[in-house]
Order: sequence, then structure tokens, then C-alpha cells
Amino acid sequence: MKHQHDNTMIKKIEDQLGNDFDAEIVAEVAEHMRDCPDCKIYVDSVKQTIKLFRVTETDTSVPEDVSDRLFKMLKLK
Amino acid sequence: MEKSVNNLMNQESELIKLARAGDRSAQSDLVKTHSGRIYNLGLRIMRNEEDAEDVLQETFIIMLGKLDQFSGKSSLYTWLYRIATNIALQKLREKKKLDAEISVHEPNFEALRGSQLKEWPDHLEDKVNDEQFRHCLAVAMEDLPENYRAVFVLRDLENLSTKEAASVLSISEANVKVRLMRARLFLRDKLANHLKCVGDIR
Repeated sequence: MKHQHDNTMIKKIEDQLGNDFDAEIVAEVAEHMRDCPDCKIYVDSVKQTIKLFRVTETDTSVPEDVSDRLFKMLKLK
Repeated sequence: MEKSVNNLMNQESELIKLARAGDRSAQSDLVKTHSGRIYNLGLRIMRNEEDAEDVLQETFIIMLGKLDQFSGKSSLYTWLYRIATNIALQKLREKKKLDAEISVHEPNFEALRGSQLKEWPDHLEDKVNDEQFRHCLAVAMEDLPENYRAVFVLRDLENLSTKEAASVLSISEANVKVRLMRARLFLRDKLANHLKCVGDIR
């Protein structure tokens, strides 16, 4: 991807990748992605990656024995 | 909605006041309220139950010992996240020292970028019950260096804002964004390699 783009656009795409994906993509990047399948595929695959980790890394309840040891150690009931 | 959030915050402020004064029931309530989030945070950063339990215990020992130092400028959970994340990162750094002889090279993010620009199949989340695929996701997280992993966990899994993550990690918001971008690209490229290996990307 890098060699096909000027540094300014790379920087803008990188900034986008460090921000909230739920937030609106800045207009200039969105416009660029409409004409650049590589960038669209890349950004979409990053979004898919985050989604996959969110699906697999679900919340777990604290196991009863872990909770018991915690409260015992803290001398709390 | 805002009213109920304010009510909860007021209740918590009251509990903190009582807990500081040594009220064991209030201390217990605070631990009960936050232990789930801290345990999950520990699991996500440490990647195993034993270490997550250590993080959990050490966090609440510190909370009870230093509650009088909690300024109340941030929320209690942000303060606890800061304590737990610091403990977890410290433990990972200690482990890294012990494992130094067998550790792999630091990943080269630049080299990983843009290595496969093939469209990914839709509905990849259907694969999360596939044992091999789950293993690939778990290994990718384990391989992600701890500073990047902490940011990814706080921002993308725990849903903290950039500002909150920066406060928890005591780094700038710009640094959070750079680390998050690199973490996401690292995980994306690891996953792309796996999908290519199993033939999901041609």
C-alpha cells in the first residue's frame, strides 16, 4: 500500500486507523477509498479484525473460587 | 439516563467515603462492583487465568491501601484500570526478562503492512467457533507486544476513550492513537497470514 500513495494520504489513513472506527471517516480519506480498492480492502480488513476480537474476547464472570480467594485475602465478606 | 448515571456516581462517592473511613461493608461493595471488570482486563492483557487472578488481588490490595489517595478527579474504575494495567504490564515485563533467551524478534510493523491486499470473506465471525481460528486469534494477541496490547485492550475491547486510555497508561493521546493503529495493523496482518494459509484468502 505504502509505495502507491503519497505520504500525506498514508498519514491520514494511519490517523484514521488509530481513531474510533465508529466515528465518521474523514471526508478526504473516504473519497480516496472510493477510488482506491487497495485502501478500502485494507481498512475494511482492519475493521473485520477488531470485530473478530470483540466477538471472541467476551466478558467472563469471576470464577467462584477466584472470588472466594480474593475476599479471603482482603479479609472481606 | 443521565439522572441514573449521576445517581450511581453519587452512590459510589458515598461508598468511597465510607470505605475510606474503614467501613468493611462499603469496601466489600466496591470490590464486588469492580472485580468483574478488573478480572476481565487482567485476562485480556495477561492471557491466562492464574496471572489474571494475581492482577485482580494486587489491584484491590492497592485500592484498599490507597483509597485515601484517590482524588475523585477521574472515575474509580479509571483509577482501578490504571492500577491493574500497571501491575499487568510490570508482570509481563518481568516475564519477558525471564524468557529473554527464547523470545522472538520484535515484530516489524512496517514490513507487515500491506502484505496481502486481497478482499476478506464476509461473515468471518462465523469462524469463531473453529478451534484453529480461535487459536490463531489467541496467538496473535499473545504475540502483540505488551505496550500495544494494553492499548488495544483498553480502546477496542474495554471501550475506553482515547482520553481515558491515555490517562490509564500515563501517555499522550497522540501516543495512544499511534499504538492503537500499530496494534490493529499487527493483529490484522497476523490474521491475514492465517487466512491465507488456510485458503480463505487466495
